[in-house]
Amino acid sequence: MADHVERAGPVVRRGPGLHSVSGGDYEARGVSKSFGGVTVLHDVSVHFCRGEIHSLIGENGAGKSTLLKILAGMLTADYGELVLNGKLLSALSPREAQRSGVYLVPQEPRLMPDLSVAENLYLGALPKGRFSAVAWRQIIDTTEELITSVGLRADPRLPAGRLSLAQQQLLECARALSHGCGTIFFDEPTSPLTARDAERLFELMWQMRDQRLTLGFISHRLDEIEAVSDRITVLRDGAVVARAERGTWTRENLVTAMIGRKLTITRRTRRTAEPGTIMLDVDELVAPPEVNGMSVRVRAGEVVGLAGLVGSGRTEFAETVFGIRRPASGSVRVNGRDVTGASPRKCIDAGLIYLAEDRGRNGIFADVDIARNATSAIVGRLPRVAGPFVRTRKEQEIAQAAVLEMDVRASSIVAAIKTLSGGNQQKALLARWMLAKPLVAIFDEPTRGVDIGAKESIYSIIDTLAAAGLAALVISSELEELVRICDRVYTVYEGRVAGELAGDAVTLEALGQLAVGALWRRQGTRSRCLPPGASCTCHRGGPCCCAAARSW
Amino acid sequence: MPPRWALLLRRREILVTAVIVIVVAGSTAAHPYFWSSGNLAFIFADSVVITFLALGESFVMIGRGIDLSVGAIMGLSAIVVGFRIQNDGMSLLPAVLLGAAVGIVLGLGNGLLVGVVRLPPIIATLGTLSVYSGLEFVVTNGNQVDTIPSSITNLGSHTVLPGVPVILLLTVPFVLVSAWVLRYTTFGRSIYAVGDDAEAAYRAGIGVQRVLFLTYVISGLFAGLGGVAFLIYTSGASSTTGINDNLTAIAAAIIGGTALTGGVGGAFGALAGSVFLTVTLTAMSFAHVSDVWQPAGVGVLVLLAVVYDSRARAGGRRRSASRQRGVR
Repeated sequence: MADHVERAGPVVRRGPGLHSVSGGDYEARGVSKSFGGVTVLHDVSVHFCRGEIHSLIGENGAGKSTLLKILAGMLTADYGELVLNGKLLSALSPREAQRSGVYLVPQEPRLMPDLSVAENLYLGALPKGRFSAVAWRQIIDTTEELITSVGLRADPRLPAGRLSLAQQQLLECARALSHGCGTIFFDEPTSPLTARDAERLFELMWQMRDQRLTLGFISHRLDEIEAVSDRITVLRDGAVVARAERGTWTRENLVTAMIGRKLTITRRTRRTAEPGTIMLDVDELVAPPEVNGMSVRVRAGEVVGLAGLVGSGRTEFAETVFGIRRPASGSVRVNGRDVTGASPRKCIDAGLIYLAEDRGRNGIFADVDIARNATSAIVGRLPRVAGPFVRTRKEQEIAQAAVLEMDVRASSIVAAIKTLSGGNQQKALLARWMLAKPLVAIFDEPTRGVDIGAKESIYSIIDTLAAAGLAALVISSELEELVRICDRVYTVYEGRVAGELAGDAVTLEALGQLAVGALWRRQGTRSRCLPPGASCTCHRGGPCCCAAARSW
Repeated sequence: MPPRWALLLRRREILVTAVIVIVVAGSTAAHPYFWSSGNLAFIFADSVVITFLALGESFVMIGRGIDLSVGAIMGLSAIVVGFRIQNDGMSLLPAVLLGAAVGIVLGLGNGLLVGVVRLPPIIATLGTLSVYSGLEFVVTNGNQVDTIPSSITNLGSHTVLPGVPVILLLTVPFVLVSAWVLRYTTFGRSIYAVGDDAEAAYRAGIGVQRVLFLTYVISGLFAGLGGVAFLIYTSGASSTTGINDNLTAIAAAIIGGTALTGGVGGAFGALAGSVFLTVTLTAMSFAHVSDVWQPAGVGVLVLLAVVYDSRARAGGRRRSASRQRGVR
C-alpha cells in the first residue's frame, strides 16, 4: 500500500467547486448539562473567536469533551444557548451543525472503513451531476486537491480503513473543509498520534487559523496546549475556573487552576502496621502496544496507586496481569506463585482479583439478583447438595453476609442489581471479590460514577481490607483519591512506570507535577520522572523523593 | 501494484463470473448437452426468481440488515397474483403491478419493525417470516394455482436468442436500475455508509432509520416481483411456495460479494451469485450427484464464500494495523 499512500506538505487551499465557508464566531452561553443526576457542565460560557485557536483544558471529567459535543450538536444542553455569528442556534443535530459550519474532529477518527477516501470526504453532501446522479469524476478530482491541501496524499479510491490513524485524522480535517465548515473543534486529536504527526496537525491548524477559521482544541498535553493556543479556558468539575490569553499564563497557574483542590484534602490514611512480604510482583510486563515494560510490586497490607493519563496503559496493564490480555514477555507472581498469562479463573484461585473499570460492561450482571452477582466469582466453591446441585439457601446466606459486610443498602438480596445506585452496585461488586478471599486486589477506578458518600465508604473498605493484610493496587484518574488512600504511587506514562512517590511525598502537587512532568520525557530515560535539567519540586530541598522511592 | 487482471478479480461479480465460466466449460467438456440452448435457457430462467430475491436482499444486507422473509413475501405475492390470473383472467402488466404492490405492503411491515420500532432485523424478519408464510395458508385456503394461461408462461419458456429466455431480458433492467441506484444516487451511497458505520453515518448527517426503512421496502418490492416471475416460470403456486428460498436468496447475495457485516456488495453480484448457484446445481445434476445433496452443496458454497470474505477482510485489516503500529 505504501506506493500510493504518502504525504505532502500541508498547504491549505480551498478546493474548486466548493460551497463558501460558513461558521465563524461561536459562543456558548450559560451551558449546563447533566447525565442521570450527575452534573457534568454547570453554567459554562466560552467564546470561540475567528482566527484564534482556543484551547480547553482540565482534568478527566472536567467536562471538556461534553462541551465540544454540545457545540457540535451531538449532545443537547439542558440549559444555555449556542450563538453562531450572533444567531441563536436551536435544536442542533450533527447535520444542522455541519450545515451551519461547525465540525468536530473526534479523538478517534470516525470514518466508514469500506468506503473510499473520496466518499468519506463528501458523504452527506455528495455533489450531483446530470439526472441527479452522483458526479464521481468530479468527486475524485476535487478530493485529490482537498486532501493534498491538508497534507494527505493518498489514492481517493482507496478504502479509508487502509489509511493510518494519522492519515485518517487528516482526512477528518479535510472533511471539515470540504463541507465548508469555518468553525472546527478538535477533541484530543493528538492522543493517538506520534509527536511528528501531531506536529503536522499543528501546522495545519496554524494555517487554518491564518485563514481566519475558528478553532477549538482539547489536549491533555500541556506542552502542546502552550505551543498552539491563542487563548485558554480552564474547566474544573464542569465549571470555568480560569481564562487566559497568549502570554498571560504560566505552566504553574495552569496546573493549579486545573487541579486546584489543595484545600479539599481532609484526611490522609495513616497506616501503622509495617507492610509485609511482597504479594504482587510484576516484572517488566510487556503487552504491546499499550503495555511496554511495567514493573510493579505490592506488599501485604499496602495500598499502592497507579496514576496516569487516560490511555497511559493502566487498565491494559491490569487486564494483562489478570490474564484477560496475553503478555508478550515479563512475569507476574502472586504470593510467589507464577501466574504469568494464566486465565482469570486461575488468577482468582491464586488469590488475585480485578475490579474492572467499566462497571456496566465488565462488572455487574445487570438483570441478575444481588445474591448471585455476589457469588458469581466463587460458584465453583459454593456448598452443594450432591455433585452439581448448589444449595441455594446457603448461597444466599453467604451472599447476605458478604453484602452486609460491605454495607450495601438494598431492599432485598434477590432484587436485580441494576435497581441499586452506582455506589451500592460497586459495593456489591466489592463483596463479590472479597468472597473470593483474595491476597491481592486490583481496583480499577473504584469510585467512578459513585456519589460522595459512597466514595468515602469505599475508601474505608479499602483501608480496612489493607489493614487486614490485603495487598491493594488502585488505579485512579482522580489524584485526590490516590493521595487520600495510597501509601505509595506509581505514575504511568505510555505503558511504562515513569515515576514513583512514597509516604509523605504523595501529595497533590507532586502527583500533578509528575503527571504533567511525565509528558516532558517523551524521549527521556525510564528511571527519571522529570526531564533532564528540570528541577524536581517534590523534595523541598531534600533528596528527590522519586529517587528515594526507587531505592526502596 | 498487482497486474490489472488481478485487480479485476478482486471485484466479486467478475470473480464469480470467471468461476461460472470455468464450471460451464468443465461441465460442457464432460456432457456436451450442457452447452445447448435448451439447457442454458433453463439455467437462466431458473435463476431469475432468486435473482429478484437476492437483489432486494442485497439492499438490506449492504445496510447491515437481513431480511429472512423474502421467500415468504415472494410466495404470498405469487399466490395472490396467481389466483387473480387464474380466476379473473388478469393480464401480465396489471399482474406485475399487483405483485409489486403486495411486495411493497409486506416490505413496509419489515421496514416499520426495523426502522421505526427499531427491532433487531433478524428478530423482526423472523417474526414476519412466520406471519407471511402463515398467511400463505390462509390465502390459499386449501386451493392452489395451477392454470396460468400460456400467453404468460411462454415468457418463461420462449427464448429471444438461443439460450436467452424472454424472462431474463425482463430481469436485466431491474438489475441495471438497482446498480445505478446503489452507485449513483445519494440514497444508494447512504445505504453503504449506514451499513459500514451507522454512528459515523449519523454524524455525517444521514437519516439512518429512514435509509434502513427504505431498504426493507425495496426488498419487499423485489420479492413481490419475484413472485410474478415465479408464476411465469413455474406456471403455478401453492401454500408452500418460497419456503426454501429465504436462505437461498441470502446465499446468492453472499456469494455475490455482499457482506453480512454491511457496507459491501452490489446488484451485479446478486445476479452473478444467483446464476452461479443455478449453474453449480445443474452441473451437480449433470455429474449425477443426487438431488438430496443439493442443499448441502449450497451450504458448502456459502461457507466457502464467507470464509473467503473473512480472510480477505482480515488481510486488509492486518495490513492497516501493522501500518498504524509502524507509525507509532
